[in-house]
This record gives sequence, structure tokens and C-alpha cells, in this order.
Amino acid sequence: MSDSMNTNVTTNTSANTATATVPQAVSEQPAAGRRGILTAIFASFATVLAAITASAFRSRASLADDSGAATGTAQRNKQYGMVIDVRRCIGCHACTVACKSEFDLPLGVNRCWVEYVEKGEYPDVGRSFLPRLCNHCSEPSCVYVCPTNATYKREQDGIVIVDQGLCIGCKYCIQACPYGARYQDPIMGWIDKCDFCIHRVSQGVEPSCVSTCVGGARIFGDLADPDSEVSKLIVKNRVTVLRDEMGTFPNVFYIAADHTDAVDTRRPEVRHVRVLTHRKDQTRR
Amino acid sequence: MEHELTWHYPVIFYLYLAGLGAGAVATGAYSFLISASNPGRRYHYFRMARLGALIGPFPIIIGVSLLILELGQPSRPLNLFKVINLSPMSIGSWFLLVFIFTSLLYALTFLPSFKTDDEALSKRLHRVQHVLSLLNIPLGIGVAVYTGILLGAMPSRPLWNSPILALLFLVSALSTGIATIILARSILHGRSDEAEPERRVRERGRRVAAKRPGRRYHETGYLLATTDLVLISIELLVIFLFIMFAHLTVGNLKYAMETILPGGSMSVTFWVWVVLIGLVIPALVELFTVLPRLLYNVPFEAHRPVEFLVSVAVLIGGFMLRYVIVVAGQITGPMGI
Repeated sequence: MSDSMNTNVTTNTSANTATATVPQAVSEQPAAGRRGILTAIFASFATVLAAITASAFRSRASLADDSGAATGTAQRNKQYGMVIDVRRCIGCHACTVACKSEFDLPLGVNRCWVEYVEKGEYPDVGRSFLPRLCNHCSEPSCVYVCPTNATYKREQDGIVIVDQGLCIGCKYCIQACPYGARYQDPIMGWIDKCDFCIHRVSQGVEPSCVSTCVGGARIFGDLADPDSEVSKLIVKNRVTVLRDEMGTFPNVFYIAADHTDAVDTRRPEVRHVRVLTHRKDQTRR
Repeated sequence: MEHELTWHYPVIFYLYLAGLGAGAVATGAYSFLISASNPGRRYHYFRMARLGALIGPFPIIIGVSLLILELGQPSRPLNLFKVINLSPMSIGSWFLLVFIFTSLLYALTFLPSFKTDDEALSKRLHRVQHVLSLLNIPLGIGVAVYTGILLGAMPSRPLWNSPILALLFLVSALSTGIATIILARSILHGRSDEAEPERRVRERGRRVAAKRPGRRYHETGYLLATTDLVLISIELLVIFLFIMFAHLTVGNLKYAMETILPGGSMSVTFWVWVVLIGLVIPALVELFTVLPRLLYNVPFEAHRPVEFLVSVAVLIGGFMLRYVIVVAGQITGPMGI
């Protein structure tokens, strides 16, 4: 017993310094151990606090929006949006080409594209078109995840754009977008997307895809103005948006869109579904 | 059809290495605090603390470098530090910036060249270590949790959009951090073994292993093995909850979880590499080595090859967990359009 106690206080130099510090150390030790646990608890509380603050800020912002909308008295900012009348779409890809040439986009990326949805088995088959672009959502989840504020929703017209000077190319917004509307510029490395042809729209000209559409399937306008063509179309028709359940409140509305997806082959009545797209990533819609 | 993965190996390695490093530093710092508060058992904890502090920063720095290389332009990530917003990546990168700094400082205080006979200096150094370990525990936990929150912030990725993912990554980070410490000591112990003086260790009033060289090595091994065992058990529980709640819902999350469940495209990778090799087998091996000491207070024998293999298996499992979660999250999306 005494032997083991002696070995605790061995006689080399480092042990001497240890013994010198021990009394002081002993006095503050139990507190130190507890402090460790307290720090760990504090850390978790700090994380929780950050998360709560984040959600509180966000919900307060959206509450403010709601109150403005409810009274209807507040001056509402423009919110550009689009109605796509799928009945008029002939799947000609004119919008795709117009967009590509408008921005001189590199190979392999698109801001605007058309999907073909085929379903059924011969002779009972159907095919419809689904023109796609950025939805310029009212709750853009891409904006909420951007670490540098490079992507934001413009106050004045509701267009979601990317500031390429700030963008670091982390691709977080690509992950967050439920519509696959964003891509990484293969040459410059930054993220890019549809901006509703902001250079044309700010001059009072329609976006390129709208003015080129041969069937007049794409209609562009201010959703906040009840007299605009898009607002009237939305009132008069049964419109849908893509992936409503994501809670993003898209501002691109579809008339008579076929929302059939490959997952619908699980339904008993849908035998065969094929989604054709010329985008590089064939699997993601 | 080939999926185009937006985030691939650099990000997977980064999530893994950042978690591992943060786990090693945090557990090391915690054991330092115990070693400081418990002079009788100072040795066991102090070795863990030292290994964790010295190893920890390097995986983090390697992981962050991988990310910066992936971004292409090294100057561009500086934009991260022009703003603080509520994006998990923004908060995480500020956490990382501070943590890399503090963990490197912490590692410096443990360097052997700083060992000095100057009493005043070593006392001051001890105080610095104390403050830094108090700082590094919350920061390390923050970094480890953030890697999970980063993935979990998006409804468009149903598999990731789960609050328990952050907890899973935190537990996995702590477990791989301890595995790194075990691996390091099983490789490096030859030198330290000889340097140990013979001493007796008293455990619960019972004399164990008198005059046996390397007794401390075994005792530290017992501490590490039991901690790792507890963490692996928690991790298994968290994985069970993660899968169970996804499976019991209807909709996007259940649809996404099918890739991991038996029959899915990633089920073999997940069940064999993550669960079996990474968790179940190491847990069983550690349980069998620990049980005699736990039940009958028999002196614990740490076998170097066993320690080596177990820690390597845990490290592989930790990586495969990140791999499966990151890839499976990206090949699945919301169902329907």
C-alpha cells in the first residue's frame, strides 16, 4: 500500500514540477471536470439557440409578408412570374434554343428545357410536354442555404439571381433546389440559372423564351398586378405548380400540365412511363 | 442510367475528415480536463488528450484543403468570410476557421519540445491548455454537428432532411475520433512503452498488475475501448431510429430510404460496410475484450493487433457512412414532379 503511494510521488524532475502543481490543481480539479461537462452542455445549447434564432428570423420575415398580403393595403412589389399553357406547347424546343443563344451558354447546360413525358403501352399511350425553367420561388430554398449571400431574391421584381462575384461555387444551392434549375458553369465554375432574362425584362421586353414560343404557351408578366395577363390566366384556369409539397411557392404556373413521373409506374393503372430530356443528368427532374 | 453527383469524393472525404478531426480534438480535450481534475488517474487520460490534440487538426486541414481544391479557385472561398448569414455552411465555415486556429494552438501546447523544467512556464502552459480545451470541446462538437446540419437543411433532399442526421454524424465523429486515437497509440506505443516507469495501479481498492511494464497502456486501452463501445452502441441506436422513422412514414423520405434498405441499390454497401464492418464487428470484439474487466475486474489486456484492426474497421465504417449518406441522398429526390 505505502509502496504504491510512494510511486505516485517519484523523484525525477518532471514529477517534482507535478507535485508542485498538484495542491493547486487538486483545489480546482472537481470544478474543472464539471466545467468540461458544462462546456459540452453549453455547446449544445449554443447550437440549439442558433437554430431557433434562424427559424425565428425566417418565420418573422414570412409573417410580415403575410400581414401585408392580408390587408392588401400595402404597396406590393412586383413579382414577375410565368404561366405555361401546356395545351399550346408543341415540344419544339424553340425556348431551349432561344435561351441557349440569348446567353451563349456553354455545352451541356440549360437554363430552360422541355421534358417529354410518355406513358402507357401501345395502343393506349400518351405524350405530353413539360417546359421547365427556374420557378423564382417566393420561398427560395436555394437562397436560404447560400453561405455568401451570392444568390438572392430581388426586392423590386422577385427575380432570383446569382451574384457571380460573390459565388464560391460550393453547389449547395444546386442541392437545395427541388427543380434542378441551377447548374455550375463548366468554364467559370460559378453557379448560374435562369434570371427571367433580366436584361430584357428591365427594358420592358419579354424574356427570350416567351417571345420565341411559337404556340404562345409561355406567358410572362407581373403576378402582383391583378390586371396582368398572367394574373387573369391564373384566376380563370386550374393551375398547378411543380412540387408544391416542397413549400417553395413557385411563381411559374402550369395549365394542364401532366405531372406523371417515373415513380408513378407503381400505380396499377400506369404501365410504362418514360421521361425524355436532353439534359446531361437524365435521372434528376 | 448514371447519376451525376453534385457532391462527390472531395465533399465526402471532407465531411468524414472534419468530423474525425473534430471528434479527436473534442474527446482529447475532454480527457485532458479529466486528467487535470483527477491527478490519481492523470496518466491514462493525459495520453489520450495528447494524441487527440496532436492528431486532430491534420484531418480537418486536409479535408478543408480538399474542399478548396474542389472549388477550383483558391481565392474564391474568402467570400465566405465577408458575411455571416444563417446558412449552415456560413456558420460552419466560421466555426471551422476558429476551430482550425484553436486546435492548432492546442496541438502546439502539447508538442514535446515545449516540455520544460521551468516550473512557471509549464504552469502557464497548463493553464493555456486548460482554456484551449474548454474552447475546443464546444467548437469541436459544433464542427461535427454542422457536417450533419449542412446536409439536413434542404427539403429537396429527403434522405438528408432529418434532424437525427446531425446527431448520427456527431456520434460517428466522436467514435472515429477515438478510433484515430486508438490507431495512433497502437502504432506508436512501442516507444512510449519503454519510457514508462514501473508502477502499481490501484483499481477500486484492489491491487492489479503490480510491477508489470505497460500496465498503463492496457488501462488507457480499457478506457478507450469502453468509450468507443458506448459510442458505437449509441450510433447503432441512432441509425436504427433514422431508418425506422423513415420507413414508418409515407412519402419522400420512405421513398428515399428504399435505396438503403434491403433491395435498394446501396443496401449492400450500407449493411456490410457501415453496419457490419464499421459498427457490429468492432462493437462485438470490444465487448469481448472489455467484459472480463467489466464484470470480474480482471486486468485488461490490450492486444495491439486487435486494437489496430478494430480502429481501422471503425474508421472504414465511418467513411462508408458518409459515403452512403452523401451518395444515397443525391441519387434520390422528391418523388413526383
